[in-house]
Formats: sequence, structure tokens, C-alpha cells
Amino acid sequence: MSILVTLFNILIFPGLLFVCVIGLILAGVDRKVLARMQKRVGPPLVQPFYDFFKLMGKETIVPHAANKAVYLAAPVVGFTSLVVMMLFIPIFGYSAFSGSADMIVIMYLLTIPAVALIVGGSASGSPYAGIGVSREMVTLMSYELPLVLVLLSVAKAAGGNALCFSLNDIVSWQQATGSGITHASLIPAALAMLLVIPAEVGTQPFDVAEAETEICEGPLIEYSGAPLAMFKLNTAMKMFIMTSLFTCLFLGGINTGIVALNAVILVAICILLTILCMTLIHAITARLKIEHLFKFYWIVVAGLAVCSLILVWLGL
Amino acid sequence: MSYIHFPVLAVMLLFMGAFLTVVFGRHNQGVRVGICTVTSVGAFALIAALIKPVMLGGEVISYWMGNWSPVEGYAIGIGYEVDQLGLFFALLVVATVLLSAIYSIKYMENDSSLDFYYVLFQMLAGGVLGLVLTGDVFNMFIMIEIMTFSAVGLTAFRNHKWGAVEAAFKYLIIGSIGSSMVLFGVAILYAQCHTLNMAQLSSILSGNNSPATIMAFALMFTGLAVKAFIVPFHAPAADSYAAAPTSISMVFSGMVNKAGVYGMIRLVYIIFRAMDSSALQMLMVVFGCVTMFVGVTMALAQHDFKRLLAFHSISQIGYVITAAGLGTALGLTGGLFHAMNHTLFKGLLFLCAGAVLKQAGTTNLDQLGGLSKRMPKTTICFLVGAFSISGLPPFNGFASKWLIYQAAFAKAVESGKIIYAFVTVIAVIVSVMTLASFIKVTQAAFFGQLPARLNDVQEAPTLMLVPMWIMSILCVLSGIFYNVVDKYLLAPATDAAINVTNYIDTMMGGGYAAAAGVRNIAIAPAEFSYWNPILWLVLFIVVLAAAFIVMITGKSDRGEILCAETDVEDGKYATFFSGEHSLPSHVAGSDLFWGFKKDWKKYFHVIEGLHSGIVSDYALWAVAASAVIVIVMFGFMR
Amino acid sequence: MMIVNYVASVFLVVLGLYTIVTKKNIIKIVIGTGIVDYGINLFIVSIGFNDGGTAPIFKMSEILSGAYFVDPVPQALTLTSIVIGACVDAMALSLCIKLYKQYKTVNADEIRRLHG
Repeated sequence: MSILVTLFNILIFPGLLFVCVIGLILAGVDRKVLARMQKRVGPPLVQPFYDFFKLMGKETIVPHAANKAVYLAAPVVGFTSLVVMMLFIPIFGYSAFSGSADMIVIMYLLTIPAVALIVGGSASGSPYAGIGVSREMVTLMSYELPLVLVLLSVAKAAGGNALCFSLNDIVSWQQATGSGITHASLIPAALAMLLVIPAEVGTQPFDVAEAETEICEGPLIEYSGAPLAMFKLNTAMKMFIMTSLFTCLFLGGINTGIVALNAVILVAICILLTILCMTLIHAITARLKIEHLFKFYWIVVAGLAVCSLILVWLGL
Repeated sequence: MSYIHFPVLAVMLLFMGAFLTVVFGRHNQGVRVGICTVTSVGAFALIAALIKPVMLGGEVISYWMGNWSPVEGYAIGIGYEVDQLGLFFALLVVATVLLSAIYSIKYMENDSSLDFYYVLFQMLAGGVLGLVLTGDVFNMFIMIEIMTFSAVGLTAFRNHKWGAVEAAFKYLIIGSIGSSMVLFGVAILYAQCHTLNMAQLSSILSGNNSPATIMAFALMFTGLAVKAFIVPFHAPAADSYAAAPTSISMVFSGMVNKAGVYGMIRLVYIIFRAMDSSALQMLMVVFGCVTMFVGVTMALAQHDFKRLLAFHSISQIGYVITAAGLGTALGLTGGLFHAMNHTLFKGLLFLCAGAVLKQAGTTNLDQLGGLSKRMPKTTICFLVGAFSISGLPPFNGFASKWLIYQAAFAKAVESGKIIYAFVTVIAVIVSVMTLASFIKVTQAAFFGQLPARLNDVQEAPTLMLVPMWIMSILCVLSGIFYNVVDKYLLAPATDAAINVTNYIDTMMGGGYAAAAGVRNIAIAPAEFSYWNPILWLVLFIVVLAAAFIVMITGKSDRGEILCAETDVEDGKYATFFSGEHSLPSHVAGSDLFWGFKKDWKKYFHVIEGLHSGIVSDYALWAVAASAVIVIVMFGFMR
Repeated sequence: MMIVNYVASVFLVVLGLYTIVTKKNIIKIVIGTGIVDYGINLFIVSIGFNDGGTAPIFKMSEILSGAYFVDPVPQALTLTSIVIGACVDAMALSLCIKLYKQYKTVNADEIRRLHG
């Protein structure tokens, strides 16, 4: 029975199917709202589904200079780690797996999709991909420091002296004392996290790695067919996973007691967050240069997170 | 009880091998290889046979040379003593030696004067093995010197290539400063305690430090830190690892700097039992963090494959020192685990670099590219090593780094000092930068486009691939079954380092430790709380399912995987989608991270200026750092 | 009287380190390492010396009766250490010869192809 529950967790509810569907819906919302902001009609909400299935049916071409095995395996590895990550993130108390320090596991799992993109792009052998790989790696370095500081502040706030690195405990702490965002000392950290999300997902001002107008999608340039569909799906899933991680860390104080209702609330919050931190910023800003991006994250965003960490450590 | 002779036999076997190579191996390559194989396999077998009594049975083996056992509670003779900590490092040593010996056969086939190579190689192996097994501080000094000599000789082995002699000279000068400090410390200790036996020193020194013993401690600490190449002493390491033949670079990073780490752990945990001093903890953690950071940033700036790996060795040793410096059982377990993993993945990476050097003729990242088409097996091994060192789950680097972070948090909680929480931040950033520099190598050497002059590169010979496969498999296995590794290797070793009663009693006779007031502390077992077998099983299923989807949809009649290589005559596939012709337009390693380097221009300018390459500058760093260590010890240790 | 030995040995060690750090001629740097070794050897011999003690040749029963003699262990240590020091010097000097052949100079400032 427990194995059935596990399989259900993996394949249907917090896992595979749920993440894919909600992720693609979020991507659709993003495109639709963006279009409205730019006074366009925009595609239908389910357009990402059409795109995904269409790409799945296209032929896959492996370039001459590519290493075939790595080139084809990269999207699968990224996809797997995203599914596993979702199993660790509690939905207002309901999570498939939990450990005493699953936050660190999440932190490492978060790097894998980026690494998959980098290695896959690198394996394609294209010079454009080479430049994209370089930029993706620098982006990864940029947001990793603020991310660690944010996680550390939340852990300290939730656990007091016994730094708490279990996401489940963080959620139950919020249910006891109010959502993380209601604690004044965590507000800078929440802002920093909101800025980390678009870089992690790779949307407009921070999409230097894929900059379509200069390096034609960078690491993805040679991809076609099913692997490209997987990468597009990965991006959509990242939207959902990052926003639900934010929800878990800062908006975890809600619990209706019914898992299904909780999931609906989570999806609603994720849509709001997507519009707030991805679509809105996308619509009003232009792409940064890579060195500006690095400076922005290590000075402004990391600064916000450090503020929060110091406030938390002082017990405010 | 015959196994009490095994440690001495293993050391003597390697030294005898060196001697026999001089006598019989001058002209015949077969004899040399035969002797070396026999000695390295023999040493491996002898040490591996000790796992059962020592690691599982909890026994400590003592052996008095010439049967000079202690008289009236005073150790007169030279004693060998194998506890779990020593055996743990001895296993790393013999495994490294065995794999390197296999690799050398093909790798060194084009060099001349191979008799010298094998003599020095076996001397080095015997020296390091003796160092980790001995129970006598002066004997330890001798072994350090043998190790340094052979290491210098091997660094200069390819002395027709530029850099080898220069690197050897720097290594010798900085190394001899370190050895002198160890000797000075040993002399002061003897003057104070009238014994050279580690067990007896441990029982005498516990809790009654005089200024003289503090001085001795500071000097020995510095000397062993030089041997471990932690940061102010690291410059010759980068040079010599890059200049030595690659089979030796692997030995250097796999066991020679581990010998220094072992010496430091033995010194602070067992001989002086000083780890409850918070100043010493802070000193080691600060040194460790600086080592991590400087090592990895210097690695980002390198253009040479082997030199880049050398700086990563330095950086990873920083993790070990930081973890050991936390002074907790959990930290030490993490440190030992990382030391072991470092031996595995860095050895593997060096072997890959050696394969590239042998097959493609260069390790300059700006001249390589696209080798994955020609050396696919090497590429897979390299990726396993790169992911392990970057700490991606489920490889072994993740497990040990995870333990180190956990130990640092626990320490921050326990001591209430926020600085230990920042250790975690530094460790994570260093981990990401490690990943970045390996992405650079991957892109510059293995992926990207194949330059025309590398067109006829072949895959490495099987005899070179075998050690690489073994190490790759070990990297994955120790990452997945780390609880087994913990139970049978790490937990006994940590226990031996923290509870020394058994060590002292075995050497000096029962009840000796209790009489000197040495007591055991119970330690909680390390918890790998992210271990969940079902999770990993299911993860495997998901991988398979996802791969299945991709393959099925890719190969159905609606679309298929077209491999451009088979249709290279067809003009359609000779170009990239981007419209570029497949002409060599490779993005090489040196400028890959300019976006990052531009923001850090000033830092890189300063740090590269400091690595000036002038031996007297390096000596100045070493002397200044030892002065700092002495001052800190006198200022803050009781 | 022994204080002179101790001061002299520490002075030699410091002098040797000073030589290594400040001199640019690689031969002089090697001499510096030699001086450090001599200082330490002097120190080790000194710690075993007992004023008025006899040569350390005894039977086991005589040791226990409280005989007054020079500690033999440091002498053994010194011998070993001298041998090792000689090896260091020999090896370093041979490397100097090689370096001079390759770089045509003995100035440490110019022997820095490996840097950065």
C-alpha cells in the first residue's frame, strides 16, 4: 500500500503529472498576461500544451559536432531532478518525502536543471551554445549566493538557535506563528527570493543565457523535437517549483486541512507570484548585460538577503 | 595473531621493491613493472587484510621494532601502531598506489629512465604508508622527508619539459621549511616529555600544556600544514601537480597531501588532543575557508587542465581542514569522508587529464576541443568526476559536502557564533564555482568542436581506462551507499580520533591511559537523514520513464533521431541550425567566464599578482603564516 | 651554559629563514635551508646533553640505579637529521644546476615561468 502511495506521489499528485500540467498552465498564463500588457490578444491559455505535443512529434536532429549520448540525456536528467524536487516541497504540510535537512537537498537539486542545460548546450558543439553556456553558468553563480543567504535566514528565523533546515518544520512554524512574510525581519529575504525566481527560471531581464535576439536561445540553439520539448517543459516546471518554494518559505501559514483545497490555493498563489515576479518584470524591463546581472545579484539581492539574515540573527 | 606483522611488512615491501628495482630493473621494463605490480598489490592485500580485525573488530595493532617494548612506562623503541584512523588513510594510500601503478604501465611507456621512476614511485608509496602507520613522531618526520624527496624527484622526472625542474625546486624549498618546522617541534617535544611515542605523548600532554609544548604544537602544526598545502603554503603544489607526470599528480593529490591532512588530524586530535580549544577551531576553520576560496578562484583563472585540477585539489583540502577544524564528531566524519572522496574523484580527474595529455599531446584548454567524439569513455569518466567534485547528487561529493554543511550548522547552533553559519555560505559558493570551472573544462576540452589537428586522436588504451572505470564506479557507489561507508570506515576512524584510550592502552599497556586521566567520550553516530531508499528507487523509475518517453516519441514514425554524423555528406547536416557552417569556431576555456571575471577584475589582479612564481615570495608567505600560527597559539591556547 | 646553545640554535634557524626569504640567488636560498638544518641539529644535540654526564653505555640494571649520563636518543636523532639535511642540500643543488642550464640564470626573480 505504501508503495502505491509513493507511486501516486511520484507520478500523479505532487509529482510528475501535477507539476507538468500546472507548470504548462503557468507558462500559458505568463504568455497571455504578457500579451495583454503589451496590448496584444495573445495565445490561448493552453498554447504551451499544443507547443509541447507538437514538438514531441517533430524529428530530433543531432548535430555533427555533438556528443549524442550526453546531448540526448541532458534534458531527461534536468526533468528528473525537477520532479524529485517537487516531492520535497510541502504543499501546506503535505509532502511526499521529508528529511531533517531537505532544504540543502533542494538547494543542490535546483542546480541540476541548470547544469543539464549547460552540459546539453555544451555537448551540441555550437559556438552560440558555448556563449550561452558561459552566461548560464555566470547566472547560476549570481543567484546562488542570495539563495543560500535567504535559505539561511528562514532557517534561523524558523528554528531559533537550532537552525531549522526541514521544509516541513518551516511550514508548521509558520502555521503556528503566522506566515514568514508577516515577520518584519524576513521581508528583505522575501524580496530577494522574488528576484531570484526570474533568474532561476530565466525570464526576460535575466534571460541573458538564452537571449533570443543576440545568441538565438544560446544552449538550446541546436535542440529540436522531443529534447527541445523537454527543455521547454523544464522551464515551465521551474516556474511552478520556484513559486511554490517561495510559498513554502514565506506564505506557508495557510492550512485548510483538505489537501485538494490546499493544492488549489497553492496554484492560485503561484499564478499570482508568476504574474508579479516574472510577467510584470518581463513587460517593463529590458535584458541586462551579463556583468550587470552578476553585480546586481551579488550587491543588491545578496545585500537584501544579508540585511534579513542580520535582522533575524539579532532577533528582531 | 599473524596480522600484527602486516603493517610493517607492507611498508617494507614497498621499500624493498624500490631497492630491487635499482638492483635488477636497470635495463628490463618487464622486471620493473613486475616488481612494482607485486609490491603494490602486496601492500594493498596486506593493508586490506587489516580491515577485518581493526575496522570491524575494533582492535588496535601495535608493533615494536626489534621488540623494544616499553620499560617502566617509558617507550624506548620505535613503535608502529595501526588504529582505525591510520588504517583509513592507509587504505586510501594503497588503493591510490595500486591504481596509479596500473595506469603508469601504459602512460609512462614513452619515457626513458623508467628505473628511476619506479624507484621513486615505490619510495613515495612506502614513505606515505609509513607516515600513516607509524606511532612515533620522529619516525613520522623521517617518513615525511622520504615522501618529500621522492615527490620532488618525481616532479622533476620529465625534466626536459619546461616547468618541471622549477616546480621541483620550489617544492623542495617550501617543503624543507615545513620539514624543518616539524623537526624543531619534535625536538622541543622530546626535550619536554622525553619520549617520541605518540601514545605516550598523548597521555602526557593531555591538559598540561607549557609554553614549550605550545611552541612545539604551533611548529608541528605549521609543518604539517605545509605538507597538506593549505593556503599560504599552497603555491608549490599547484606548480608541481601540473609539472609531474599525471600518474604522479594523481598520487600527489590522492595521498601526499592527504598525508599532511592525516598528520594534522593526528596532531590536533590525538597527540595534543587540543580540539576543545575554540581558538584552534577558529584558526583551522579560517585557514580552511581561505584555502577553499583562494583555490577555487585561482582555478577559475587557469588555462591549463592539470594546473586547474591542482588548484582544485588545494580547494578541496580546504573543505577537509574546515570540517576537521569544527572539532565535532560530525565534522570530523564529514572531513574524513571528503578526504576519501577527494582521493577518488580527483584521482579520476587527473587520470582523465593524463589520458588527454597522452592522446592529444597537450593539456592547454585553449588548444583542445571536441574530444568527446574521439574519447567518449574518457569523457564519461570525466563527467562523473566533475559532477562528484561539484557535489551534485547522487555522487559522493554531495554526501560528504552535505555532512560538512550539517556539521557547520550544528557548530553554529552549539557555539552560538554566526561565523560558522557563514562557513556554509562560503562552502556553497565555492561549490558552485567548482562546478563553473569544470563546466569550463567540459566545454573547452571535451565538447565544442574538434580542431582539425586533433582529428586522429584515439581513445586511451584499456590499461589506462581500467583505473578510471574503477574510480568512477567507486565515486557512484560511495555516493549511493554512504551509510555503508560510514558504518565500516568513517565511524571507526572518527571514534579512534576522538577516543584515544584504546590507542594509548594498546601501546603502553592496559590502564596507562586511565592512570594519566584520559577518558572516552561517547559520540553520537552521524545521521544521514536524507537517506531514503524508496526515493532513490523511484527516482530511478522516473528517469527510466522519462527517457522512455523521449526515446519513443523521438523514434516513432512522426519523427526520428537523425544523427548528422551518418549523413555528413548531405549538405543539410553539415551546418548548425544557427546557419553557421561546422567550421572550427570553438568557444575555448580562457574567456568563458569573462562576465564573471570582469566584475572581479581587481580581486583577480591581486591574487594572480600574489602567485608571482618567485620562490622567495612563497617562502615569505610560509614564514609569515607560521608566525601568525605561533602568535595565535600563544595568544589563545590556555 | 646550555642557554648559549639554545640561543645560537634559534638564531641559526631565524638566520636561515631570513636567508631563504630575502636572498634572490637560488644557491644562497639552498644555503639558507642548510643553515636552518644546522640550527635544529644544534638544538637537538643540546637537549640531550647533561653537564658532567658519562657516555650512555649501560646495562639495564645500571640504568635503573640512577646513573647520570648523556641522553643517547637526541644523538641518534641528530645523526639521522644530518644525513637528511645533506640529502636535501645535494638534491637542491642538483636542481640548481638543472635550473641554470634551462634558464641561464640563478636569480630567483627570473625563474618564474610557472606563475598566476
